[in-house]
Amino acid sequence: MLPLAASDASLFSPEFLPRLPQRLVEMILTNLGAAESLVSIAGFLAAAGTVLAVFLSAFALLSLIERKILARAQNRIGPNRAGWFGILQPVADGIKMLTKEDIVPAKAERLLHLLAPILIVLPSILALGVIPYGREWTPLPLELGLLFFFAVGSMTELAIFIAGWASGSKFPMLGAMRAISQMVSYELPLMICALGVIMVSGTLSLPRIVECQGGFHLGFIPAWNLFTPWGLVAGLLFYICSIAEANRCPFDLPEGESEIVAGHMTEYSGFKYALFFMGEYLGLFAISGLGITLFLGGWQAPLPGLDFVPSWIWFFGKLALVIFSFLWIRATYPRVRIDQLMRFAWLCMIPMSLLTLPAAAIWHFTGRGALSWVVTVPLLAVPWIITAMIFNRRLSPATRHYHFAE
Amino acid sequence: MIPLLILSPLILLAALGAVWMARPVHAALLLALSLALNAVLYLVMGADFIGLVQFMVYVGAVAVLIVFSLLITRPGDEAEELRRRPGALLPGVACTLPVLAMVLFTVSKTAILETGNAPSISMESLGKTLFTSHAPAVLALAVLLTAVMIGAALLARGAHASGLPRSASCETKTADETGSEPPIS
Amino acid sequence: MTPLALLLTLSSALFTLGLFAVLTRRNAILVLVGIELMLNAANINFIAFWRYGPPDPELAGPVFVLFSIAIAAAEAAVGLAIILMVFRHTRSTDLNKLDSLHG
Repeated sequence: MLPLAASDASLFSPEFLPRLPQRLVEMILTNLGAAESLVSIAGFLAAAGTVLAVFLSAFALLSLIERKILARAQNRIGPNRAGWFGILQPVADGIKMLTKEDIVPAKAERLLHLLAPILIVLPSILALGVIPYGREWTPLPLELGLLFFFAVGSMTELAIFIAGWASGSKFPMLGAMRAISQMVSYELPLMICALGVIMVSGTLSLPRIVECQGGFHLGFIPAWNLFTPWGLVAGLLFYICSIAEANRCPFDLPEGESEIVAGHMTEYSGFKYALFFMGEYLGLFAISGLGITLFLGGWQAPLPGLDFVPSWIWFFGKLALVIFSFLWIRATYPRVRIDQLMRFAWLCMIPMSLLTLPAAAIWHFTGRGALSWVVTVPLLAVPWIITAMIFNRRLSPATRHYHFAE
Repeated sequence: MIPLLILSPLILLAALGAVWMARPVHAALLLALSLALNAVLYLVMGADFIGLVQFMVYVGAVAVLIVFSLLITRPGDEAEELRRRPGALLPGVACTLPVLAMVLFTVSKTAILETGNAPSISMESLGKTLFTSHAPAVLALAVLLTAVMIGAALLARGAHASGLPRSASCETKTADETGSEPPIS
Repeated sequence: MTPLALLLTLSSALFTLGLFAVLTRRNAILVLVGIELMLNAANINFIAFWRYGPPDPELAGPVFVLFSIAIAAAEAAVGLAIILMVFRHTRSTDLNKLDSLHG
């Protein structure tokens, strides 16, 4: 029988359930007399393993749910043959991906062709490690957590380029060019919106940013960053940019199926394609998780009396809602054109996101109360309306220059 | 010390590849690798913020810019470069080796100070120093970056705004030249 | 060998490699690669002296490296824009061919 330590009365409580594997491993190893460093390393590996297990099964589930929701939006049923309601479809997909022949084009660079999917999955998994999922449950509570997230996120662009170039054919190269220009353009408003949150919270550490969003205004409105004037604008911009960063519709030009086959993933088959798929979805989880941490209060409950529900349930509930909205948008909107995309990023998103910075500063220095709302709302609303009017007028397509037909 | 001993040869090898490789994309990717290992070096030395900024800016922006422009200009086969290499090598080495020798000599002659405890940056102290003592430099940097952004955008627009379609300028150029330029594939 | 000596040797070697690239490469973009290596070598020097040198409460090392990284990125952007403009005009990034002022 393993002797229980004093803190283990809460070991099996729902709040600390995600910690269970890590605590069990540490407890077992300490009772076996292992060294301190080995216990901490093993505990950390258990924590990382828990995160990976949760998100890989979420990835499998999401691939099915996405197809079901898209199908229902398009008035059809979706996969329903592999098991009850298609629940075994991810298993079938996995078996298919693993047993497919791995084709590498003759003109491709073999080493880089192999390296690219790994380099795309790696940043997504690393980024998943710094997000606070619950009150005590941040796998990697770094003091520079947000900077770490953006730093590993910037590795994705290089990996997409390697994927596109190493395939050695035209469609992947085109897809890689589009993907890089899109990701670079939309990374800027993403970081500027996060900058507003950093300014107001005063820290780069993600668990502390969530803690700063505790408490309630007027008794029932949560003090999340979304419910502030600058936070509303910044949160909306962050949402749009995260769709663009994850290459989802309506920003899925890099993998536009009707145009360039599959973009940078064209020449990949079998398990490498599955890795691309996984990298994209894990990146989607990571950036939604970051958006929830920065703007939706992370694991904080929405109403004062609901604290008895474990904090990680609130986080995953919010994550499910955000992902559902992503799928809904995918089913609804058509794809944007490359010039519309660039114009939108550089002429609309960047000025608006730059405006959230002085708005956040003014909101903070006028006391964060009703006066701040009165002062900051016109500062944000007037440019928003002007930009919307300009873009409505410019929504017509740009005049085309025909090089060879005149 | 041990992480430094492992990282330094790797950084040097990656930089050597970036400098020596005949195919430009390989050289650019090895540069990205060298810069990424450099970021790891900073992290190991305790400069967390600088290491992450190095990763984000150099690997995530500068390396991506370089590979993107390689994608646009698409430099051709480097067989010529390999054949011509011995001739171009000699002046390069002749100019470079004295610099290396002089720098290493200076390094070995200076009194190397040794401190035991590692300093650490806290974000507050870095931010305070940056925005109080070095505020003019930060403002100048902001102006510089804005100028760079506007300038790069204007330079990129230059060809479109000039009115000539690209094919016309190419035709006039090849009609004027007597020498033969290999067709860009 | 002390860590500081190791890092100074590393940065000297990196600087020399960057200089070699600037002097020998024919492609303009690869010359830029060499410039980035040289700037990077100088940054290693700064951080090495901050870490292993005398204590400095003013954080001169990291602050300078921050500015250096920002300026290197800005210079890479402008340099590549210029190279792309020249490429549009002459369809070549070969430095040996860009030897006349008349376009």
